[in-house]
Amino acid sequence: MNEAPPLTPTLLRRAWFLARLSRAWDHRFESMARAGSIGRWYSAVGNECTTVGTALCLAPGDALSTVHRDLGAILATYLDIPRLAPEVFAPEERTAWDLRRPPPQELLHRLACQVLGRREGFTRGVDRSFHYGLLNDAWGIRHVGMISHLGAMLPVAAGLALASVQRSSGSVVLAFIGEGATSQGDFHEALNMAGVLKLPLVVVIENNRFAFTTPLEEQYACERLSSRAEGYGVAGETLDGTDLTAVVTAMERACTRARGGHGATLLECMLPRMRGHAEGDGSYELIPAEERARFLTMDPLPPLEALVKTSGAAEEPWLQRASELATTLVEAAVERALAAPEPEVREARRSMYAPGEVREASNRQASEAPR
Amino acid sequence: MSATTYLDALRRAMLEEMDRDPAVCVLGQDIAAFGGAFRATRGLYERFGRLRVVNTPLCESGALGAALGAALAGMRPVVELQFADFISCGFNQVVNNLAKTYYRWEAPVPVVLRLPYGGGVGAGPFHSQSPEAWFAHTPGLCVVAPATPRDALGMLKASIRDPNPVVFLEHRFLYRREKEELPDGEELLTPLGRARVARPGDHVTALSWGWTLHECVAAAEELARDGVSVEVIDLRTLVPLDEDAVFSAVRRTGKVLVVHEATATAGFGAELVARIADHCFEDLDGPLRRVTYPDRASPYAKSLEQSLLPGRARIAQELRRLARY
Ligand SMILES: Cc1ncc(C[n+]2csc(CCOP(=O)(O)OP(=O)(O)O)c2C)c(N)n1
Repeated sequence: MNEAPPLTPTLLRRAWFLARLSRAWDHRFESMARAGSIGRWYSAVGNECTTVGTALCLAPGDALSTVHRDLGAILATYLDIPRLAPEVFAPEERTAWDLRRPPPQELLHRLACQVLGRREGFTRGVDRSFHYGLLNDAWGIRHVGMISHLGAMLPVAAGLALASVQRSSGSVVLAFIGEGATSQGDFHEALNMAGVLKLPLVVVIENNRFAFTTPLEEQYACERLSSRAEGYGVAGETLDGTDLTAVVTAMERACTRARGGHGATLLECMLPRMRGHAEGDGSYELIPAEERARFLTMDPLPPLEALVKTSGAAEEPWLQRASELATTLVEAAVERALAAPEPEVREARRSMYAPGEVREASNRQASEAPR
Repeated sequence: MSATTYLDALRRAMLEEMDRDPAVCVLGQDIAAFGGAFRATRGLYERFGRLRVVNTPLCESGALGAALGAALAGMRPVVELQFADFISCGFNQVVNNLAKTYYRWEAPVPVVLRLPYGGGVGAGPFHSQSPEAWFAHTPGLCVVAPATPRDALGMLKASIRDPNPVVFLEHRFLYRREKEELPDGEELLTPLGRARVARPGDHVTALSWGWTLHECVAAAEELARDGVSVEVIDLRTLVPLDEDAVFSAVRRTGKVLVVHEATATAGFGAELVARIADHCFEDLDGPLRRVTYPDRASPYAKSLEQSLLPGRARIAQELRRLARY
């Protein structure tokens, strides 16, 4: 494999800031979960370099399919970072895509409202946390969130990629999945289709070594999940998902393959399990203490910070200011969302059908009459 | 005018809609050069090419999920299941992904699932089922079951145009047996959510769809010879239900027989009689009766299957009983 070219200072600063935003968000919601003020929180601590690094390789119009620990990818796809943080980013750092994106504070607010089940969230209170999508061609954002059934989004991601081929749009689909969900039949069906139909799909396995409490050896018997790629006729590799350079390099290679019509890639990103399955559910304590300690030493943020410094992308005062700003921005978004209105009760009974003949027919039924 | 079979009508619907809208595509097993197990897509591959007539591997869940993804990216996929029975392998994609996406985050899901269903040809337990109730029970799906070539054409076209997931049940016993003169070069659309009077009558109302609709008409003709006038309503769309048509028919005759090929317990007929009891109780002049398949799987030997199918003889017998009230 070729020596990876160094990442640009702009990319490094943005990746670092996004990782900090994601981490600050997790810290805020973890503390709310511990205080019992929100139901559950599935932390993405430890996944940041993988989620941010892969998503930063996307172009406007590419599609993103996320599961429950992919906040970093959502933030990377949604946010015009220089506009969100003008104190630490220069206007010239805005990309062409940034110029198409909506005001970042508004998206952050809607995201916080979504996670908290508020009226201004993407589902207006109808579905929880990251269970939603956002499709906006003008913004270049095509995000399809998850349903609870793990694995089920992978065929959907394959379909997004199929449409890219059918419409010759040249777009790539980035889809995340935990290693636990790779045991699902949908994983097999989606990757097999991606291989046969040569779909522009990049599947990223976030291998944090546990599915709820089930360790790797009880999940699969092969050495590396990326070895399955061969069976599907797609490219595959296993990499250190805490190493931003490795992640970006692998993702860029996968995107080039996809855009060149050469098909799908399976990237297995090895990650430390730095938290339990859900905050406070007792699963963290099941991990042997020495393993827990080892995982904490694998935190992706310190090496990322070191990379930012040694590459000359930023110095300590900038990192300090940017870190504080990330926390402040998250704090402000969450406070605003906590004060935002609850969903309107009528949302619960909103139609199951998009406007058209079927919806009209549905509305004519007596059970649909207003109560 | 051309003599058009039910199967021809399905093909014509796909062809016309694919000609009209480049977003319409077909996914399924063996559907491209071969034209599908029943040849419903014959000729489409040659005309529209491999990007719009997509052979998938043998993977129902994969194909159904992919249809959702393609729809979210601007396509209007029609998925052909080789047999309706196999949709159980992709059940989750239908009831959780396709059905709930619009409610959850308001993305339209223009996907049609074509399900060749039903028995009558001695195909055994896994190629004969009528699974409409599984899908009728899931909010967010439109469930249709045309009985005639005209409706097969008009409803498939309307289903392709609708921005919601449609479970399109095509009765395979009718594929080549039902034939109708249909005008060429004319746009024939059947509105979704509207029942049709298949045969007017005054004394008893029979509600049905699919193959049993034709059995009801045959039974009605037999009773007509004895002076009993049976109205037969073809529901065509089960969900959403055309309650206006059903309730006004019930109010006119006061006597209702619900007939379906699916098994009895928690079949769609149970929903129909519940709604009629709820809204038309005072108008009823007799018990709400059902003729259905018994609660059994479909046996293989033709003689066994025929002994269970709810055909015209049983329907006529029940209609006579109801007429006497
Ligand atoms: C189909 C299905 N079965 C079970 C669950 C319950 N469940 C939620 S998360 C989880 C573990 C997932 O593990 P993995 O895919 O590795 O993701 P991780 O949580 O480790 O990031 C399980 C079993 C589910 N959501 N979906």
